[in-house]
Amino acid sequence: MNTSATTRIGLRTIALGYLLVLIGLPIGVILYRTFEPGLATFYASISTPAAISALNLSLLIVGIVVPINVVFGVFTAIALVRWRFPGRGVLQAVVDLPFAVSPVVVGVALIMLWGAGGWFGAIEGTGFRVIFGLPGMVIATIFVTLPFVVREVEPVLHEIGEDQEQAASTLGASRWQTFWRITLPAIRWGLTYGVVLTVARALGEFGAVIMVSSGFPGVSQTLTLLVHARYIDDHNTYGAYAAATLLMGIALLVLLLMTVLDRKRSDR
Amino acid sequence: MITVSNARKQYGTFTALDDVSVEIPRGSLTALLGPSGSGKSTLLRSIAGLEGLDSGVVTIAGRDVTKEPPQRRGIGFVFQHYAAFKHMTVRDNVAFGLSIRKRPKAEIARKVDDLLEIVGLEGFQHRYPAQLSGGQRQRMALARALAVDPEVLLLDEPFGALDAKVRADLRTWLRRLHDEVHVTTVLVTHDQEEALDVSDRIAVLNRGRIEQVGDPVTLYDRPANDFVMGFLGSVATLGDQLVRPHDIVLTRDRAVALAEDAKVPGSPGVIEAVVERVVRLGFEVRVELRADSGERFAAQITRRDAFDLELHTGETVFARAAHRSSVIEIDPALAI
Repeated sequence: MNTSATTRIGLRTIALGYLLVLIGLPIGVILYRTFEPGLATFYASISTPAAISALNLSLLIVGIVVPINVVFGVFTAIALVRWRFPGRGVLQAVVDLPFAVSPVVVGVALIMLWGAGGWFGAIEGTGFRVIFGLPGMVIATIFVTLPFVVREVEPVLHEIGEDQEQAASTLGASRWQTFWRITLPAIRWGLTYGVVLTVARALGEFGAVIMVSSGFPGVSQTLTLLVHARYIDDHNTYGAYAAATLLMGIALLVLLLMTVLDRKRSDR
Repeated sequence: MITVSNARKQYGTFTALDDVSVEIPRGSLTALLGPSGSGKSTLLRSIAGLEGLDSGVVTIAGRDVTKEPPQRRGIGFVFQHYAAFKHMTVRDNVAFGLSIRKRPKAEIARKVDDLLEIVGLEGFQHRYPAQLSGGQRQRMALARALAVDPEVLLLDEPFGALDAKVRADLRTWLRRLHDEVHVTTVLVTHDQEEALDVSDRIAVLNRGRIEQVGDPVTLYDRPANDFVMGFLGSVATLGDQLVRPHDIVLTRDRAVALAEDAKVPGSPGVIEAVVERVVRLGFEVRVELRADSGERFAAQITRRDAFDLELHTGETVFARAAHRSSVIEIDPALAI
């Protein structure tokens, strides 16, 4: 097909314009507003006790969620690919559920389950607070990030097949040795990719977390909650911009890492 | 020595092994030969413990291993698609079984070097499997299996994924390796030429049962039934019997044919046939014939005989089975 120069330039303008208006402009505005008063102001805004606490909390949640998702994600992927058991089809569907369910719904469901008067609400009596505490935010984040590791590892397991694992077993390796020496190295790129996606999603989670967090600055605010609170509650527009930029910076770092890893993976 | 007694294995409604019993003598190289779906791979994998039997007993070197996992059976296994550990170098692949057994580093290094020399991969220690050819990968897999000093070596269609030339080379190489290493070896193949070439015993399987076990010559010359005869080489129908095409003698003269045939006890008799086509295949000539009965068959004769007979399409010849040829009466139940 022969497209004329005008059509070509026209199409390009539309595509670029679309991206610019939807993604470029909002990010540009935030960056502009953030750095307009100078770096010192930016630094001051993100180093208040509330901001530092929010950053720490966000990283803490990521630090708890990632190992849990790695263990259960790899286990679930192996179960789905390698084992035949009743309920496998149901499990397959359940893994995708977090993609389909809105995070707000997840938050509400968790309150119904763990909150005062919920099925497991009695646990509050023991002094272990799930809702409006760290456990609730962790559970909510696990829920929304559950599919990433499973769905990244699964196709890799399919691709490598069972031959290598069987070969290892004929050579005397126990299941555990086979997993560490054969399976894990074989799936490591898929796993890494899944972890990166999990980190990005866990950092950015808002809907589920706001439902189960008490939202006290310096105590139970994650970075996303901080952005929200500064803007809506405190009318601290600049503070919201600065916190948003920090959040974006971390996400960008993760994205960059992912791109580098992806390149490395396709090199192999 | 390996013994399998009364092995049964069912996959849903499909019977993979139907009461199979077989003995594999110590130090032998036995081929399990059969078409796909005959149960030969299932039998091999049951010996390895990679597949569990529904019932039956497997012993290796006098030890009942039926309930043992593959790790504790003292086996080496070679897969059709190599099953190379892709993220490890050739050296680490071969050393895997030894490092699992926590042998001293010096011993591992020595043994790996020895094995790589035996399989002709010295100098490839630091390559990755992706940097090797198919034949090299399979030799690496063999070295890896041999590294743990297995009681028995089990090969599942080891040359199936290789091209014809490499396949023939590796076959000869495996035979020589076996003469050197003497480990009891079982090889699964669907290629009768490979089985006849490389093994000293063949078990022919069909539909989950063993049809016949014996040395290659016995199986070729005295097949137990028409399946074994047909699977080990080409066959022609002569009268009511099966004959190998190269055992058919063609004569121009009916009287001569009858006189010669009288000397062969139990022969299918003399069949009058018309030459439909003469195909010259280098050193041999295939003559395609049609008998009076309308039955078509082919005879394989030498170039010299073809010259002497001066056969042309449409001419009549008299076919009979040569003296001491393998002949099987066609089972009327199986006749089409």
